[in-house]
Amino acid sequence: MHWLTSGGESASLAVVRRAFADQGGVWRDATVPGGSAARAAAVNRILGGNPPPVFLFSLGAQLTELSAHGLIVPVPGADEGWDAMLPPLLSRSARYQGRYMAAPLNIHGENWMFYNRAVLEAAGLPVPGSWPEFLETAARLKAMGKTPIAMGGQPWQERLLFNAVLLGVGGRDFYRRLYTSLDPAALDSPTLLDAFRTFASLRAFVDEGSPGRRWNQATAMLMRGDAVFQFMGDWAKGDMRAAGLEPGREIGCALAPAPDPAYIMVVDAFAFTAPRDEATGEAQRRFVSVLMDKDVQARLNQAKGSIPVRTDVPDDGFDACARQAMALIRDPATHLPSTGLFGMSGGLSGAVDDAISHFWNDPRLTPEQGQELLRKSILAFR
Amino acid sequence: MKSSLRAPAIALLPAGMITFICFYLFIAWTFAISLTGSQLLPSWDFVGLAQYERLFASARWWTALRNMAIYGTLFITGCLSLGYLLAILIDRGVRAEGAYRTIFMLPLSMSFVVTGIIWQWMLNPGLGIQQAVRGLGWEDFAFNWLVRADRSIYTVVLAGIWQQSGLCMALFLAGLRGVDPNIWKAAKVDGIPTWRVYASIITPMLRPVFFTAAILLFSLVVKSFDLVVALTGGGPGFASDLPARFVMEHILNRQELGLGAAGACMMLATIAAVVGPYLYAEIRQKKGG
Repeated sequence: MHWLTSGGESASLAVVRRAFADQGGVWRDATVPGGSAARAAAVNRILGGNPPPVFLFSLGAQLTELSAHGLIVPVPGADEGWDAMLPPLLSRSARYQGRYMAAPLNIHGENWMFYNRAVLEAAGLPVPGSWPEFLETAARLKAMGKTPIAMGGQPWQERLLFNAVLLGVGGRDFYRRLYTSLDPAALDSPTLLDAFRTFASLRAFVDEGSPGRRWNQATAMLMRGDAVFQFMGDWAKGDMRAAGLEPGREIGCALAPAPDPAYIMVVDAFAFTAPRDEATGEAQRRFVSVLMDKDVQARLNQAKGSIPVRTDVPDDGFDACARQAMALIRDPATHLPSTGLFGMSGGLSGAVDDAISHFWNDPRLTPEQGQELLRKSILAFR
Repeated sequence: MKSSLRAPAIALLPAGMITFICFYLFIAWTFAISLTGSQLLPSWDFVGLAQYERLFASARWWTALRNMAIYGTLFITGCLSLGYLLAILIDRGVRAEGAYRTIFMLPLSMSFVVTGIIWQWMLNPGLGIQQAVRGLGWEDFAFNWLVRADRSIYTVVLAGIWQQSGLCMALFLAGLRGVDPNIWKAAKVDGIPTWRVYASIITPMLRPVFFTAAILLFSLVVKSFDLVVALTGGGPGFASDLPARFVMEHILNRQELGLGAAGACMMLATIAAVVGPYLYAEIRQKKGG
C-alpha cells in the first residue's frame, strides 16, 4: 500500500517491484493518491482487521504510535548491521524500544533553493550565499519585473520557506534547540526574532496569486522563467526532469543560504503488519532485503529524485544536486529532521504550521507578534 | 399496545434503530473520546476537560468559529433575500419565465466542490476577474479578496450565495404561487400599492417557507466543508477555516483525535444553541396559533 503516483515516484517503485518479482515475490498494489489519505487508509485497514502486509508510511510520531499499540511488527530481517548502514538520525527515529519498526525507502531534503540559471545570469547576479544577499538579489529582480520567489501558498510550503530562513539565520544548532529540545530560551531569543524579520521581508517578493497554489505550479513558474527562485524539497526535480530540464543545469540547485551546511530530512519508510501465514512472512523478509539492496537503493532513488538511505551507495548516475546532498550527509552533524511528520508529533507539527502560516499570510502582524505566536504554540506542547 | 398501532411501530423500528445507533450512540462516543487524550487511535486515558481547554486556547479554533458566524449570517440572509427577490420578479410574470427559472436553478445542480473551483478561477487575481478588468484598461482595479487573509471568508459567502439562492427562489416561488389570488384582487380594490402587499401581507403569509429555507441553509452552513476546501483551502493560512474543516484536519491529518472530537462536540453545542430556541418558538407558536 502506498501513495507513489507521480511519474518519478511510480518509476522508483517499479525498480523495487521488478527486483522483488525477479526473486519470485508476488506483488499486489493498492495505491491511494495523496500521502495523508494513504496513511489514513492504511490505519483504517489495520483497525478494520484487513491489514496490508507492507505499507508505505512516513517516519515519525504516527508510526511510533502504531508501534506502541502493537499494530505493526518490527521489520523482519533488520539487525544491528542497520545501525552502521543508516545515518544515525534515521536509525534513531526508525526504532521503537530498540527494534526497527520501519524500513526506510529514501531521504528527501526540504531545504533546497532551486533557481532559474538563465534568468539569474541574464540579470548578472550571483547565487546568493546568505539571506541579506538574497534580499538584495530579490529586490533587484523585482525591479526588473520578475517574481523573485515562486511560492506555493499552502501551510506546509510556507513552513519549508520559514525553516530554510530559520536555518540560515540561526544555524543548525539553533534549529535543533528550537524544534528538537523545544528550548524556551531559543523561543525567546533575538535570533528567532531575526528569522521572523527576514521571513517577513520575503512577503514582498512573492506574487499575488500565491495563496493556495500547489508546489508544482510554482515549479512551473520557475521553469518558465517568470519566477527566479523556489524553496522546495528535492521532489521538485521529478517535475523538472519531466519537463525536459536537467536539475543542476538549466535549473540550478543550492541549499538555502545558511552559515553551516545542513540537510533537513523527510523519510518515507515501509512498515509491516503481523503476517497472516508463513508465505506472507517470507515475502515480507524478501521485500526488506530487496529494498535495502545497494543497487536497488541507487536506482530507485535516482528515479525519485531523493538520495539513498544507505550511506555506502556510490553516487554514480545521480544528478548533480543529489551528489551534493550525498556528499553533505557524510557528516552526521548536518542531519536535521523536518518539522513535518518526522521530528515531532502531529499535533505539535500542525501547531507550528499554523503559527507560521498565520504570520506569513497576515502582513499586519509584526515579527514580534510572529515570534509570540510560535512561542505560544510550541510551549503548549512542552 | 393496540394492534392498530403495532404495524406502524414495527415499520418505524429500523429507522429508529439507525437513528439511535448512527446518531446518538456516536454522539455519545465522540463526547467520550473528547474527554480522553487520544491521538492517532482512540485510547481511554481520561484527561477531563483538557482537550476543551486546548481547543479554547487555539487561535485557529476562534478564527473558525468567527468565520462560521460571518459566513452563516451573510450566507443565510443573502440567500433568503436574493432568492425572495428573484421569486417575486419571476412571479410578476416575466416573459420566458421557464428560461429564467432554469438559469437560476442551474448552479444548484453542481456540487460545492465544482462551485468552489469555478470561483477560485474567477477570483484568482492572476487569472480571473481582476486580470480581465485590468486587461480592459483599468490598471488599478483590484479585486483580490481570495488571497487576502481579512477578506477571503467573504468569497466563500459569495460562492455559497451564488449556488444556493436558486433553491430559495424555488421554495419562495412555490409559496407565492400558493397565495390565494383573491387576496391580490382585494388589495387591488382597496388601492394598496404592490410593494405594500408584499411587505405587509404576502411576506407574513410565507413565514413557514422562510422557516424551512432558513433551516435548510443553516444545516448547509454548519456542515460546509467542501466549498471552503475547494475554494480557498481554508487559506490564506487558516484565515477562512471553518469548524468542520478544523475537526477533519485534526482528526485525519494531525493525530489529534481527542482535540478533534472536542471541536465536534462544540459544533453540536453551537447548533443546538441556535436551532433549539428557534425550533421551540416556531413549534410552540404553531400549537398556539
